Amino acid sequence: MIAFEWLVWLILLFPLAAFVIVGLVGRRLPEGGGHVVVGAMAGSFVLSLYVFIQVLQQGGLGGGFASQTIEGYVWIPSLLPENSIKISLLIDNLSALMLVLVSFLCLLIFIYSLGYMHEEDGKPRYYAEVSLFATGMLGTVSADNFLQLLIFWEIMGLCSYLLIGFWYSKPEAAAAAKKAFLVTRVGDVLFLVGVLVIWNVFGTLSFGEIQGKMASLYPNPLTPQLLTLIPLLLFGGAVGKSAQFPLHAWLPDAMEGPTTVSALIHAATMVKAGVYLTARAFIFLVPLSSAVQPPFTAILVIAGIGGFTTLFAATMAVVNFDIKRVLAFSTISQLAYMFLGLGAGAYIMATEVSRGEATNSAGYSAALYHLFNHAFFKALLFLGAGSVIHAVATNDMREMGGLAKPMPVTSKVMLFGALALAGIVPFSGFFSKGEILSVTFEAGAENPGFYLLYGLGVGTAFLTAFYAFRLWFMTFHGTYRGHVHPHESPPVMTVPLMILGGFTLVSGLLAYPMQGFGNLVFFGRAEAGFPLVGIPLSDYVLEGVSMGVAVLGLALAWAVYATKRVPAERFTASRGGAFIHRMLTKRYWIDDAYDAFGRTVVYGMARALDWFDRKVVDGIVNGVGRAGVIVATGTDRFDRRVIDGAVNAVSLETVRGGLRLRQRQTGQVQSYAWVVVLGIVVVIALMFGLTFLQRWWSGLGR
Amino acid sequence: MIPLQYELILSAMLLCIGLYGVLARRNGIIVLMSIEIILNASILNFVAFSSYSGDASGQVFALLGIAVAAAEAAVGLAVFLSIYQTHGTIELDKIRFLKW
Repeated sequence: MIAFEWLVWLILLFPLAAFVIVGLVGRRLPEGGGHVVVGAMAGSFVLSLYVFIQVLQQGGLGGGFASQTIEGYVWIPSLLPENSIKISLLIDNLSALMLVLVSFLCLLIFIYSLGYMHEEDGKPRYYAEVSLFATGMLGTVSADNFLQLLIFWEIMGLCSYLLIGFWYSKPEAAAAAKKAFLVTRVGDVLFLVGVLVIWNVFGTLSFGEIQGKMASLYPNPLTPQLLTLIPLLLFGGAVGKSAQFPLHAWLPDAMEGPTTVSALIHAATMVKAGVYLTARAFIFLVPLSSAVQPPFTAILVIAGIGGFTTLFAATMAVVNFDIKRVLAFSTISQLAYMFLGLGAGAYIMATEVSRGEATNSAGYSAALYHLFNHAFFKALLFLGAGSVIHAVATNDMREMGGLAKPMPVTSKVMLFGALALAGIVPFSGFFSKGEILSVTFEAGAENPGFYLLYGLGVGTAFLTAFYAFRLWFMTFHGTYRGHVHPHESPPVMTVPLMILGGFTLVSGLLAYPMQGFGNLVFFGRAEAGFPLVGIPLSDYVLEGVSMGVAVLGLALAWAVYATKRVPAERFTASRGGAFIHRMLTKRYWIDDAYDAFGRTVVYGMARALDWFDRKVVDGIVNGVGRAGVIVATGTDRFDRRVIDGAVNAVSLETVRGGLRLRQRQTGQVQSYAWVVVLGIVVVIALMFGLTFLQRWWSGLGR
Repeated sequence: MIPLQYELILSAMLLCIGLYGVLARRNGIIVLMSIEIILNASILNFVAFSSYSGDASGQVFALLGIAVAAAEAAVGLAVFLSIYQTHGTIELDKIRFLKW
């Protein structure tokens, strides 16, 4: 148990408080409140370290610390206490490690920001947003249930939008922010649906309870189809957040934000949340009981997308000239490695579970190990790139070159970063990447498809080394091609770089004295007694292969970009080469395709709906209105013509009749007398006539 | 005794004379006199039928009729006198103020 567990809450509350303070009064603080944010993050880091050490002491080395839920409060109460949704924190090996990693990297990046953002306007906004961003990530990795995870996940999504669009007056930045928000939203919706499905099936969202309920709910109501669907929906969220194919398009454009934001997004937060979520989804992928059939299809999808994306993104990194975009594609590729490792590891574990064997969480550990290492070297590379951009005021590597002399520190730490990214021993990338590839190869014994993914991974290792050193040689080797006079960055920027450089060198080695990284983040199963397999160097051949292709890639980069013995133009001059180059610079036309999709399908639908609205809906409304007018006109006409007409006709005829009749009123008394006499004569004649007729009739009758 | 027919024929002749006077003459006094003749024609009928049927109620009516005729002549003469004073004539075709 962690002593003083309420301290864990402070890890989240420090950056949140910094966000509130800087957001409210940042303008009046020196450096736009940067020091407050750095101080708060330092507090978070110290507490995270405290938690991490406690977890280590209480069993991290022996694998004994299971997990601890720090009860918060009931957010959404329910009649059944177990159905209520609580805001609680979960501390286990994984979240303890993530907390310390995230807070440490955020701390370094924030310190670096003090130098990098020194001359920017809008610093309070920047510091408030990065602080909230850090809160989001810390909350994501310490959440106890999926809903809480989703909330912090969305906070991060919001902050990424705000920070990518930091220079919102630049149209590209505004567009990139929108793109990042919209593309990740696709994944977020899938994640949300996944959370709803989980709630529907399990009646709880807490990781521990779900894991415990699995066996009792299988196969009804947790059908095999649902068990496949749930991790895939969660993985959909991860695909969006971690920029995997096909939702990768936002990440390269996200480079429009300040470089520190890129470092934050790529190293410690945001994209790592996807990997973290997939690691949490292991509770679905690898059931505790052998009675539950593991969802192999979902595992294969995860591994397949990982394997494909890794090579896919690496190829695009090869042709880019924007130093940050190269790193962005590299991030996609490296994250894909992690998904590949998680997929392969889950496949092995799931197979072992279904056979009832003891499990080996090597793939899970390897992926998180790579996450850990990648966080350091990618932060290093981005911050180094930021330092370079700061010096030469451009992102274009064609305007760099020969910067090793004016920027000794930056060039050296960038070399460390490139070596780690390429996977050259003894830098950190070598160990984790080699381990992921080994696990993938091992999984091939269970499913031959993994041999193909292994091939993709090895090809990527080659390309990774190539583009990492292409970047380094183009930036630091040769002669300077730019216009601005370059200078080394101030210590506030170089010191974090050096710290990160040190970690890139040792973070790989750290795992070995500790009996393997696997002891730190093994995927715990309730059944005790399975061996804790760490990161063994058992398969030297596989490690040698990944190292060998990396050296080959490095050598090719040397030949092409340093000595220029193999000119790149020769490749692009050939017809096939030109096509490939064009395809890669156009990013396989996927962005264009999305744009075209947006333009044709989405706009088309919008236009169709607009048409429907205007013509049909408005038509109906107008038609009803017009019908009303017509009816009203009809009644009006009827009223005017018929009813008024009748009334008028009666009165008119009365008047006319009166007019005609009054002419008979001559005032001539004698003419009246004539009428009277004639009337009498007529009456008499009638009387006589009738009497005569009557007589005549009765005479006939007789 | 004079037969009923003669009396009735006399009465009818009086009626016709009176009608002629009412319809054809223009002098208001003459018209008034002709109305008196018509009235007397009817009174003669009452009397004739009274003596023919031996019932006295006809003669009572005849007396009533004479009284009415006297009153009528008085009112009529007064009207014509008044018309003459206001319009200066009693020519009936000139008296048209009861017109529309």
